[in-house]
Amino acid sequence: MRLLYRMAIRPVHHIMIIQLKDINKTYPGSVPLHVLKGINLDIERGELVSIMGASGSGKSTLLNIIGILDNYDTGSYTLDGIPIKGLNENRAAELRNRMIGFVFQSFNLISYKNAVENVALPLFYQGVSRRQRNRLAMEQLERMGLADRAHHLPGEMSGGQKQRVAIARALITKPSIILADEPTGALDSHTSREVMEVFRSLNAQGMTIVIVTHDPGVGAETNRIIRISDGIIMPDNA
Amino acid sequence: MKNPIFDIENWREIGATLARNKTRTFLTAFGIFWGTAMLAMLWGGAKGLEGMLMRNFSGFATNLGAVFPSRTTMPYKGYNKGMEWDLTINDIANIRRMTPGIDCSTTISGIWGKVNYATKSKNATAIGIESDYTRILVPVIYSGRLINQSDVASTRKVAVIGKNLADELFGDEPSVGKYISINGIYLLVIGVAGQTSEVQLYGRIDDSVLIPASTMFRAFRHTNDVEGFLYTAVKGKTPTDLQPYIRRAVLASHPIDPDDDGALWFMDISERFKMVETLFLGISLLALFVGAGSLMAGIIGVGNIMWIIVKERTQEIGIRRAIGAKPRDIIMQILSESVVLTTIAGIAGVCFATIVLGIADKITYDPVLGSAHFELHFRHAVFIVLTFMTLGTAAGTMPAIKAMRIKPVEAMRDK
Repeated sequence: MRLLYRMAIRPVHHIMIIQLKDINKTYPGSVPLHVLKGINLDIERGELVSIMGASGSGKSTLLNIIGILDNYDTGSYTLDGIPIKGLNENRAAELRNRMIGFVFQSFNLISYKNAVENVALPLFYQGVSRRQRNRLAMEQLERMGLADRAHHLPGEMSGGQKQRVAIARALITKPSIILADEPTGALDSHTSREVMEVFRSLNAQGMTIVIVTHDPGVGAETNRIIRISDGIIMPDNA
Repeated sequence: MKNPIFDIENWREIGATLARNKTRTFLTAFGIFWGTAMLAMLWGGAKGLEGMLMRNFSGFATNLGAVFPSRTTMPYKGYNKGMEWDLTINDIANIRRMTPGIDCSTTISGIWGKVNYATKSKNATAIGIESDYTRILVPVIYSGRLINQSDVASTRKVAVIGKNLADELFGDEPSVGKYISINGIYLLVIGVAGQTSEVQLYGRIDDSVLIPASTMFRAFRHTNDVEGFLYTAVKGKTPTDLQPYIRRAVLASHPIDPDDDGALWFMDISERFKMVETLFLGISLLALFVGAGSLMAGIIGVGNIMWIIVKERTQEIGIRRAIGAKPRDIIMQILSESVVLTTIAGIAGVCFATIVLGIADKITYDPVLGSAHFELHFRHAVFIVLTFMTLGTAAGTMPAIKAMRIKPVEAMRDK
């Protein structure tokens, strides 16, 4: 059953991992807000991409749509060969769990769970046994160089360590992409460089990574910068 | 699909969440603990209070009727009102002959006299009774035997003396088989008795002397008059039901106006008991009302705290949703937490109440009267816990639904 699911989710090896075609999104209200005005975006497997834009440019909304956290009004979005449109909450949760690894600006670790438990949490929702998921979580923490911090609570760790725990959590389900929302926003410049180094090395191992940021320094460390302004993607040469 | 109730992983997760948030867990648990404890204590306490009162009547017939003559209140056949008259042995015979539904009955008459044994003396009431008396007010026998039918039939000069009286006159000496004198007349002591109930008919048995009614007439009263008549009604009838028959039997031989209600004084103990029963129904209802109130307060407390918890955990729930928790996972998590809490705290509350009731029972224990039964029936305890579980779950539902509606985007928002 689970195997079939996996096969259904990952049918063939697609070169294009993210395909956005003419995405429009309007937030309703007394003054409707047209945030995304026809976004077209393709991201290939194995890319390290940054999406840059000022606040209010629509980059967060775009991230939410790519991360299946929000719906769009018109257009089409295909993630690793799966059309993402009009999904119910359960299916969306399932796809988020298996295909997307999130890294947030404020780390978003659960404060009363230690590093291993935080990293293992996505597997809990897959029904993986505790022993198994703790073993896998330890592997990811070792990969992040945090094996000695495994049983510390987030409050006992530095910002850089917390973010690496969050990255370990994002990796544990072996997702198709990693979506990072201002991953260095809460870190000092030294730690930011360290975290970016982690992303670069993951990318070197073949992981597709999309980073949303307004920090040009971060953007400069990615292989491609997608600029978004006022709900439209700027041409590359802009 | 896995059933979350039988999934050990879920229980581990709930246990970990509850254990890691001790203050929150404690606050919620305490509300439920106190609610169940209050309800259980009120329930058991009301029962105990009733037991405390009712045990005062232990060994006492609760459907007792009594008849005593009184001055007439109306003139009749040339007699003035205010005439005194007496019940006679003949009247008693007529009553017994003409009244259906008498279960047991006895005449009762008393004299105040000086009781002597050897050099010791003590003033006490001697009560002349028939053998049925001991079925109306069941005595405790300390030694010997009670007055029986053949004592009455043969007018034996025998006496059953009260426990306290025996202690004073005889000390440690055995009294059965000895002779005492009452107002100079010697009687053989055949038994020592006392009573458990607090009901007094001519004083407590413990302080009195019981002698056969016939002996009382012949040796002390020198008449055929009796002071009163006690009877119990058969099952299904009250003493009041028998009143008209008794009236008719008595009035046949006395010049008393048939409408003169004051001339024959009736008492129906069962009516007093009905009052007591009504009182305790009231107390039980009050206990139920207060208990239900504390139950409601507890439940609302759970709902309230779950609501705050959900608000406080918005970010956590958002994170869980973002990394793959389905709405059902969240609702199950919140509900399971409230069910686990309610169950554990509820059982603890009932246990606590049981201990308190146990102490109350020990304190009010009376060596003669026994336990007042401050206790909670097991099925009532189960009922309380189940009610709390059901209502606790219901109270957790609204917050759980609220939690379920939290969008994962919430987790992205910085605090």
